[in-house]
Amino acid sequence: MIWLTIILMTVIIFISRYIFIEPKLPLRLGPGMVKFLSYSAPAVLTAILAPIVFIQDNTLHLNLDNSYLIGAVFAVLLILITRNTLLTAVLSMLLFFLVH
Amino acid sequence: MSHPQSPASIRKSLWQGMLAAMPLSIAVIPWGILAGSYAIEAGLDMIQSQAMSAIVFAGAAQLVAVGMIKSGIGLTSILLTTLLITSRHFLYGMAMRQQMSPLPLRWRLTLGFLLTDELFAICSETKQHKFDRWFAFGGGFSFYLIWNIASAVGIFAGQQIPNLDELGLDFAIAATFIALVVPAIKTPSILVSVLVSLIMAVVCELFHIPGGLLIAALSGMSAGMLTAKLTNEPHPNKTILTRPGEDQ
Repeated sequence: MIWLTIILMTVIIFISRYIFIEPKLPLRLGPGMVKFLSYSAPAVLTAILAPIVFIQDNTLHLNLDNSYLIGAVFAVLLILITRNTLLTAVLSMLLFFLVH
Repeated sequence: MSHPQSPASIRKSLWQGMLAAMPLSIAVIPWGILAGSYAIEAGLDMIQSQAMSAIVFAGAAQLVAVGMIKSGIGLTSILLTTLLITSRHFLYGMAMRQQMSPLPLRWRLTLGFLLTDELFAICSETKQHKFDRWFAFGGGFSFYLIWNIASAVGIFAGQQIPNLDELGLDFAIAATFIALVVPAIKTPSILVSVLVSLIMAVVCELFHIPGGLLIAALSGMSAGMLTAKLTNEPHPNKTILTRPGEDQ
């Protein structure tokens, strides 16, 4: 049963990743759609990170007791100043674990 | 179609891809360990636990599915939940269609399999004619290896590392994504897109709306598009995300 679950999950996830890069799929992306999709990376990544930063235990935490929020603000400042992804990730994680 | 590349330039691309994925690979290590130990804790054997990471290869879906297996929830519910969690990949495939669909089958299968949030994040900026398959492979495959090694560590450590999920490890993901999103905000319309996505994601999460991630992302994308149209925003360069160190 567990193997069946693993295999079916593999199939579903692979299809979701592959289907739209299959050239035989009859789909032409017009310029409007391409423009729309150009927003997908920042929009999706933001949608993944926002709940992590703002919500703990099902409640919104907009105050400075929220170590996630402090770390996130620090990360925003760091990336604006340094423009270095790795440095920003590592330093803001260090600060986070200090205040957490 | 295939433009021959010298071994030296292939090595360079692989290396650059690996470097671009590095912050993401590091941030994902604790998650890999967690995925491995959690699978053992849920009663999967070692091979099944490793197979989760090696062939399913989808962090969020793995963790949720293992949790559901542990609580004895049925196959249909697990698969529906998987579909919901994985639905954002449809968007990634569509966004990468121009770059990846002209590739030969073996490349499409490989890069399709490796198309995670992380690979999408490092690849999405490249234009069609500049898309470098070896760069994508270097980033995607190094990330895959690290995810699987971390999972193996978690599998061997097993239940010896409890409460790993209470350490606030999710911040690593948030920090890395912030470092990728902020430099991508190059126009007012992208800023609007990001802000709308942020607010919608928080609202959906607070109200436990299923598929909230996708709803939030699509709202943000629509808002960005609308803003660009209303303000007659000129087409900037199409660059959305920049490879680390490329924009100096």
